[in-house]
Amino acid sequence: MIKKINIILLSLFTSLLAIANNADYKYLTIAENLSHPWGIAVIDKDNILFTELSGQLRIIENGVLNPEPIKGIPEVLFAGQGGLSGIILDPEFNSNKTIYLSFSSPDKEKKTNTLEVIRAKLTSGSIDQIETIFKASPSRRTAAHYGAKMAFLEDGTLLITSGDGFNYRESAQYLDNHYGKIIRINSDGSIPRDNPFLGNKDARPEIWSYGHRNLQGIVVVDGIVYENEHGPMGGDELNIAEPSKNYGWPAITYGKDYSGATISPFTEKEGMEQPIKYWVPSIAPSGMTYYTGSLFPEWTNSLFVSALVPGDVRRLEVSGNIVTEEEILFNDLGRIRDVASSPDGSIILATDGPNGKLIRVIKK
Amino acid sequence: MIVKSFNLVLSILIATSLVILQETMSNLFWLISVDMPISIGIFFLTYLDNLMSMNLSGAIPLIALVAIGFLIAYSVAKIILIWIKVSRSYAYALAGAVAILAIVLLMPLAFYNLDILAGGRSILGKSILTFFGLISGYYFGASLDKQRAT
Repeated sequence: MIKKINIILLSLFTSLLAIANNADYKYLTIAENLSHPWGIAVIDKDNILFTELSGQLRIIENGVLNPEPIKGIPEVLFAGQGGLSGIILDPEFNSNKTIYLSFSSPDKEKKTNTLEVIRAKLTSGSIDQIETIFKASPSRRTAAHYGAKMAFLEDGTLLITSGDGFNYRESAQYLDNHYGKIIRINSDGSIPRDNPFLGNKDARPEIWSYGHRNLQGIVVVDGIVYENEHGPMGGDELNIAEPSKNYGWPAITYGKDYSGATISPFTEKEGMEQPIKYWVPSIAPSGMTYYTGSLFPEWTNSLFVSALVPGDVRRLEVSGNIVTEEEILFNDLGRIRDVASSPDGSIILATDGPNGKLIRVIKK
Repeated sequence: MIVKSFNLVLSILIATSLVILQETMSNLFWLISVDMPISIGIFFLTYLDNLMSMNLSGAIPLIALVAIGFLIAYSVAKIILIWIKVSRSYAYALAGAVAILAIVLLMPLAFYNLDILAGGRSILGKSILTFFGLISGYYFGASLDKQRAT
């Protein structure tokens, strides 16, 4: 109870601290007329890969958008929230040119689809040596709540967020499926021997944590895994994710269903983790990055969470498992789908929608 | 006319209340299955809260959705009754059932197969909701029969 009161007081406190942007920055449009830009992977300050939900992998080369999408992308289901979603570079990308892509993969015969992750080599203008390293099971009929974001742990294993599929929310509490889970696999798709549920015959061995809804952002900072997830109507969360932990959805939640119905009257239960921050009403958190650059020293060591509603970026300072400050930034660009840090200290934003943009935030 | 309108509104209210009851029970029964402490008090409080929020603060006010569905279905039933002589109770019961079934089947088509009414995700849930539409329609039809008889 005390923990709950603390979270509420802290939320109020951080909300009071939230201020409109007045920092010394300006926007530079890198690319425009993009078809639902979704995930960003920064190679270096002048070279950026990004996905378009409609199925294209695009590249900014030497600061300029290559008009030709990268070839070789598998067929994706572009519907609802489905499409080509997440992208991440291999930790050894500079030498092996390997990338990982997540997308909604259709099964036309069964009229279902599922979250799939592939590994591929990036060559000039295309990808090849494509291998499927993860496919969520079971498949779904819906085109929503894929999660589909990825991050590497320091041991080289890959975390993949797998959303609850909207209609299958209760499955997030059961370990026999991939709905509402964080998945951990090796970069070749094999199962790490120290996965928390590996010896459990009733559990899928890839599961790392469970009880999640629609995880749209995940970053690893000094071994700490931060993930944000969309709540239903209210109840968006920022969590510190740990192996084998249950994050409660939908048994506990700070949100309500879109119909207005109470999903659960409970916000806490023993054995279920609390978010380090939650948002009511929703901000619809999308991407997330951890800023270590020095271009904006006042923002160094902050989490940046992009948000679709009303459309801004939340800069969060976290101390331990407490969010000590929240600042609203970039709230004049509309819905922001993803945020990434560039090695030169600038911040890359992807605005949402059929005419999306990639924007670089630089010093004035 | 006033009595007829009153009964129409009442049939909409009955349907809405029953749909919300089913939604509440569906959510709470699952919570019980995962050992969440649902008491009678929590059940009633949740139901009352749902009665308010599903009609006032949901993405689509349920009562408006049911009203539109019933108005269309009852209008069609009324036209059909001009040519086919069947009991009004049965005709409007069927109309009420079709209206609710249409809501639970058509809404997902508009939202990428997402069932906004969580209680209507399963075949059993859809059947129960349709049955509640049938009860509400039957009430409306029976009230018309009664009105005519008097």
